[in-house]
Amino acid sequence: MIDVQSIRDAARDLLAKGEVRAVIGYRRGSRGMLAEPVTITDPEQADELVWDATCFHNLALYLVEDRKALAHAQRTPNLPIAIVAKGCDARAIVVLMQEHYFKREDVYIIGVSCEGGGVLVEYKLARLLNGAQALSAVIDGAELVVTTLAGEVRLPASEVMADRCLECREPFPKEHNVVFGEDQTSRQLVAPFTALARFEALSEADRWAYWCRQFERCIRCFACRSVCPMCYCDECVVDSITFPVAPETTAEEKANRIRWIERSAVRSENITYHMTRAMHLAGRCIDCGECERVCPVNIPLRLLNNKMEREAREHFGYEPGASIGGPSLVASFRDDDPGQFIR
Amino acid sequence: MSEEEQAYEPKIVAFLCKWCSSAGSDLAGVSRIQYPANATPITVPCSGSISPLYILSAFNKGADGVLLSGCHIGDCHYIEGNYLARRKIYLIKELLEMVGVEPDRFRMSWVSAAEGAKYAQVVKDFVADLKPLGPQNKLKADRT
Amino acid sequence: MEKILDKQRLDDWIAALTDWEAFAPAVEDGVWAFRPVVGAARLDHPNTKQPPKGFAFPQREVFFSFEQIKGEAPRLTQKLPDSKHRVVFGVRPCDARGTVRMDRVFADHVDDVYYQSRRNNMAYVGLACNKPPSAHCFCLSVGGSPVSSDGLDVLMTDLGDRYFLAAITETGKSLMTTAGDLLKMPAAADRKQAASVHAEAVAQPQRAINNPDGAPARLKASFKSPLWEELAQACIGCGICTFLCPTCHCFDINDEVTGSAPLKGNRVRTWDNCQFPDFTMHTSGHNPRPTVGARLRQRVCHKFQYFHENFGMHQCTGCGRCISDCPVGIDIVHVVNKVTEHAG
Repeated sequence: MIDVQSIRDAARDLLAKGEVRAVIGYRRGSRGMLAEPVTITDPEQADELVWDATCFHNLALYLVEDRKALAHAQRTPNLPIAIVAKGCDARAIVVLMQEHYFKREDVYIIGVSCEGGGVLVEYKLARLLNGAQALSAVIDGAELVVTTLAGEVRLPASEVMADRCLECREPFPKEHNVVFGEDQTSRQLVAPFTALARFEALSEADRWAYWCRQFERCIRCFACRSVCPMCYCDECVVDSITFPVAPETTAEEKANRIRWIERSAVRSENITYHMTRAMHLAGRCIDCGECERVCPVNIPLRLLNNKMEREAREHFGYEPGASIGGPSLVASFRDDDPGQFIR
Repeated sequence: MSEEEQAYEPKIVAFLCKWCSSAGSDLAGVSRIQYPANATPITVPCSGSISPLYILSAFNKGADGVLLSGCHIGDCHYIEGNYLARRKIYLIKELLEMVGVEPDRFRMSWVSAAEGAKYAQVVKDFVADLKPLGPQNKLKADRT
Repeated sequence: MEKILDKQRLDDWIAALTDWEAFAPAVEDGVWAFRPVVGAARLDHPNTKQPPKGFAFPQREVFFSFEQIKGEAPRLTQKLPDSKHRVVFGVRPCDARGTVRMDRVFADHVDDVYYQSRRNNMAYVGLACNKPPSAHCFCLSVGGSPVSSDGLDVLMTDLGDRYFLAAITETGKSLMTTAGDLLKMPAAADRKQAASVHAEAVAQPQRAINNPDGAPARLKASFKSPLWEELAQACIGCGICTFLCPTCHCFDINDEVTGSAPLKGNRVRTWDNCQFPDFTMHTSGHNPRPTVGARLRQRVCHKFQYFHENFGMHQCTGCGRCISDCPVGIDIVHVVNKVTEHAG
């Protein structure tokens, strides 16, 4: 089990010694037991940091926000920024570096292993606790230790964990400057792409009916896009409302901007948005699962991204977030890429 | 086929690369090869330049079928463009099928500038395969 | 007019409302929403994911269609909403109070025919909250209550095996009259139980805005506070808080072009969102709310200061959705309490 104090000490040291300008991590929020993202700059704040099964967020998003803020202020940082990163988060950081969003030396990765566990899903936990309120939930090996008003309860982590964690191939941040917790990569709890395989077994008509139902619920809140570290475009190509203008943007550019879809949250526009996003994330999505977690209407977005990921692995031998120097999926090719579908 | 089905003419949007497939379609015309007039050609510089948005947008606007055609492997005017197309289009094709769009509505071909006859055959086959599927209304926008 | 309805007869009442299209909460893929009643209606929902604001203020509203006829001025055809009567069952008091606030915006200073024509054909049958539906309810702090009837046509209270019905408006009375003898006169014991259920409901613990009355002035004094950036630090700029809110109502208007020769299309209103980064982007490139702190300040102050200044009431009704559904835990109760505590 990881002692959160070691994470706090690492953060405090880095800040106190002036080795980093900030640490992005998790702290307890105002919503009961749930953690929330925080960026601390003062070594005294290090004691606020937490590490538990509610550290859902992919903090790599805040590296992107930081980079954008620096670019806007036209500042070059003199120190790296530190970040607490799970296995999935570390892979996201690798993708961002692969795409030259920032350099390796700009980021100090405080890796944390999920060991035998992962993040929990609130409704799964609520079901198992039968109405008792959880005050905290920590991973200990393959168990989740939950504290309730009535005392401590130990649950098998696999029964409360998110699908994305159950199917996770690598619950350990390979890319790190320092890492806490054991590498239990061999723990594979559920076969990768299990949810996807189950879905693909449906007939074409059932698959279409399923997505119709999902995309009719979509309200285009764009939480899926906003929470994804890899959706860093200032202007989202599929949604022309985010057309950034500057003083030098001409009237003609503004008048001629392409509108691929309408703002109406109707099925046809929603499908185009989601499919385009899935394509733009092909080879880049590392399945942190945040898009699916944040969706307020429970659209199983992971299915779309997992499909791209599995095709990339099986047919192009491609693994997203594997190496900083690697090529991008859609800007590279192999001679044996499948082509039988082409007449 | 019912009378209605026989009367139905599928609308195809064909993205053709300028250097090979578009020229091939011109050759079909100049050679007076008879083939169905269902395809609206859109010339693009290279099959590799085709964004998934073009395909989705064509379906969104009511295309019954979408065709992409480029240079044969090894013959791309930009050397590697069609290799990239082969990869990207494989992905979008898989995604379309996964969502439940009929696989026959989307296809890709390699047609060289000398293959006027092949282009005509590709379109002929596509129209024949699209007719029984009827009009596309899964991805089509309801513009009322 | 007060009546008792046996729970088993709820579906019969709905069936008797032949002039109305009835909606009730239903769950699909884990998401509660108001859906057309098919088969049995159920009222055992916590609260719906989205409030009922979409009935009078839909995500997409077509104002008019336009068509360019050669040699003539463009032809505009207004598209008014249909005149179907719709009744929604299971509306929580916070959402009903939200409707009252939406009504003020779209009827007080403007004559929005689209909103009003839909609104005038709506009826809301509420369900009192015996227990708070959410861990983040705070209706009491903002002038509401789990048993408030403000904005409702009928208020139902769950008494176990039956509902206690109270007509609030003439429409409510007529809905209840249509039920005929499905509804019984309440006995003294029924009234007593209803009163005690209400008293218990109001006594249930909730979250609390510490100084709701002082909020407008204190927020006004805190415009330049550095707390806004600090509290908004984790905000990802999505649209969840605003789209799920019973009272948020900003919108965008666009032309959806459906044909280019001749030119034709529709002028359409869609929901917009002040939390999107470019909501206040000017064509010059200047953005007066360029940071998450500025945008959080805007939303919170609109709820607890600006609306109060314009309409004499808080815009927020304490439903708690923005708190429970925020991906990163931004908590409006925490924000208002913190900022007002440090005001000035």
